[in-house]
Order: sequence, then structure tokens, then C-alpha cells
Amino acid sequence: MIQVRFFPENKEIKLEGPLTVKQLFRKLNLLPQTALVIRNGKILTSDLTLKNGDEVEIRIITSRG
Amino acid sequence: MKCRRCGKQAEIELRSHHTAFCRDCFKLYFLRQVKRAIKEQHMFSPRERILVAVSGGKDSLTLWHILLELGYNASGLFVDLKIGGFSEHAREKVEKFAQKRDAKLIIVDLEKEGIPIPKVVKKTGKEPCAICGQVKRYFFNRIAYEQKFHILATGHNLDDETSRLLANLLRWQMSYLVDQGPVLPPAYRLVKKVKPLYRLTEYEIAAYAFINNIDYFAGKCPFSKGATFLRYKHYINQIEYEFPGTKLDFYQGFLKKMKPFLTPFQREETTSSQVCPRCGYPTLAPLCGICRLKEEIEKAG
Ligand SMILES: [Zn+2]
Ligand SMILES: [Zn+2]
Repeated sequence: MIQVRFFPENKEIKLEGPLTVKQLFRKLNLLPQTALVIRNGKILTSDLTLKNGDEVEIRIITSRG
Repeated sequence: MKCRRCGKQAEIELRSHHTAFCRDCFKLYFLRQVKRAIKEQHMFSPRERILVAVSGGKDSLTLWHILLELGYNASGLFVDLKIGGFSEHAREKVEKFAQKRDAKLIIVDLEKEGIPIPKVVKKTGKEPCAICGQVKRYFFNRIAYEQKFHILATGHNLDDETSRLLANLLRWQMSYLVDQGPVLPPAYRLVKKVKPLYRLTEYEIAAYAFINNIDYFAGKCPFSKGATFLRYKHYINQIEYEFPGTKLDFYQGFLKKMKPFLTPFQREETTSSQVCPRCGYPTLAPLCGICRLKEEIEKAG
């Protein structure tokens, strides 16, 4: 499973990998560039793949209001 | 995805520019955008004293960080709204930021001013965001003028500017449209206002803040439940998603093609050369809005 932690809410979810960042956004119903996806201190571009065992942080930048 | 400039693994994707950068090249890109905004819009010179209005959020702290990094004489101003569970955390981030960089920070405490926001909202029933905006604007203007700053800088970004532009256009709010732009000229007892981050999106600023370890406050104000401007941001981002680059074009187009045709509307603050007898703030009324508010709160007990 991929561990996903949301910042600043501190909410956590688990998702089945593998999943590209682009697919992750679609799954979470987020528009690209409204959140940062961070793994091991690096920001991930949309083409990169998340594997089971990965821990990522999602920083929501623009909320829907 | 590879960095367009150096070929390393990219971290930041810029769809509007059809490109991607690694963090080092992104920093260069980002600084170039800020320098370009300052230069093209004739915002300020290295000798001028700048007051940065800081909230503790990513935009204003990133702005302050960059101005210091570029060697500008930039002090911070924080208005402590005294909203429990919110203001104290924001204040802590701002104080830490200033300490770490040995930068000058001015704090206005609304408790001491007699108008903490929750009390004002409770006593007057006024809309929190409107009153909060008015109070902050008052102190930003007043302190910038009284403490002899040349410039008042705010962290408004491209998303803030375009969502506001769209909202104002949809209602043809001419008096607001006239004032919209990255620079507001000085007026009687009001210093020049600038928005050096206006070319950069929220995404770019968040990425810059992250890679530069800018420790900001990301909490939400308990009063701003579903503010409508957030909806506009969302709609604009949806358009931007389908047509990358629209946001910057929309804003730049307004500045170049529309703004020159708008004749300045008369704003109370800028047309008056009359001042409030209590605090010296420009106003046409016998007392300025904030002094009236203070009086109202005092009477209410
Ligand atoms: Zn690079
Ligand atoms: Zn006054």
C-alpha cells in the first residue's frame, strides 16, 4: 500500500500501488497544480510512479472553498 | 520528467510554460519572475525602505524571504487579530521567521487596540472577512506612513489577482477594477503599494516555500468558511488546466489592454486630504472608520 498523508490536515489514507502521480490526483479528485506531492523530501512530477511501501505527503495548496 | 535547463530529474512542472525544472533551476526561474515584476512595474529601488504585510502564510513569508535574499531593506508587519486557535500560531511562525533572519518585525496587537476581531464580530454583527480586511488595511497604511516606509508590499499571487479580476469583471465592479493591479500609487498619507509575486501562481509559491524550508502557517481562519473567492480560484484553475497559460495572459492582458482605459474612480481614502482628528488617517468623515469602530465597541462595553 501507498501511505498518503495530507498536510496541514494530518489526515492519512492508504492506496493500492502502483499509481502515477497523475492517477493519484484523479483518484483524489484534485486538479493538477493544486497540490504538491512530496516523497523523501522531493516534489514529484506527474509522470512519476508511486509504489507500494512509498510514503508520500500531499500539500493542498488551493482548496475548493 | 527532466529539467529543461540542466537535464536533471525535474521537481516542478510548469504547465503554463510547457516546461519543468529541477529545484535549483526553479529557484532561478522564480527569482527572475520576481525581479522582472519589480523592474517592469517600477515597484521600488534598492534604497527604499519596504514594509511587508505578513500573515504567517506561505505567500507573505515567501515574499519577505525573497526580498531579504535579494538584499532589500524589508521589515515585516503582523496584525495579531486575536482569533483564538489561529492568530497565535500564525504569530509564532512570523516571530520565528524574523528571529532566524534577524529581520525587523512590527506587531500590532488588536487586543491592545481594543478591537480584537472576535469581539468586533460579536458586538457589531459585521461580516468577519470585511471587517478584518478593513482593520488590516488601516494598520498597514498607517504604520507604513507613520514609520516612514517608502513601500508597502503584500504577498498577492497570480491566483489571488486573477480570481479577484474575474469576480470584479463578472459584476462590472468598475471602482474595484480601477484599483486592480500590481502597483497602487501613493496618495495623501498613503504609501505606494506593490505586489511583487503577482506573476507567480500559488503552486509555484508553495513549491518555492517548500524547497527553501520556509516554515509557514497553513491553518485556516475559523471565520472564513467557504469564502467565495476560493470558488473563483477553483474555476480559474479549471480553465487553466484546459488551457495552460490563460491565467497570466488574462491578467497581463487586463493590465496592458483594459486598464489604460479606466478612469480613476474616487476612493475615499485617496481623495481626501482631510484626516481623522484622533489618529491622522485620511478620511472624509468626522472620524475614520476604525476610530468609529473603536467607539462603537467601547459603548457596547
Ligand atoms: Zn535544472
Ligand atoms: Zn481615526
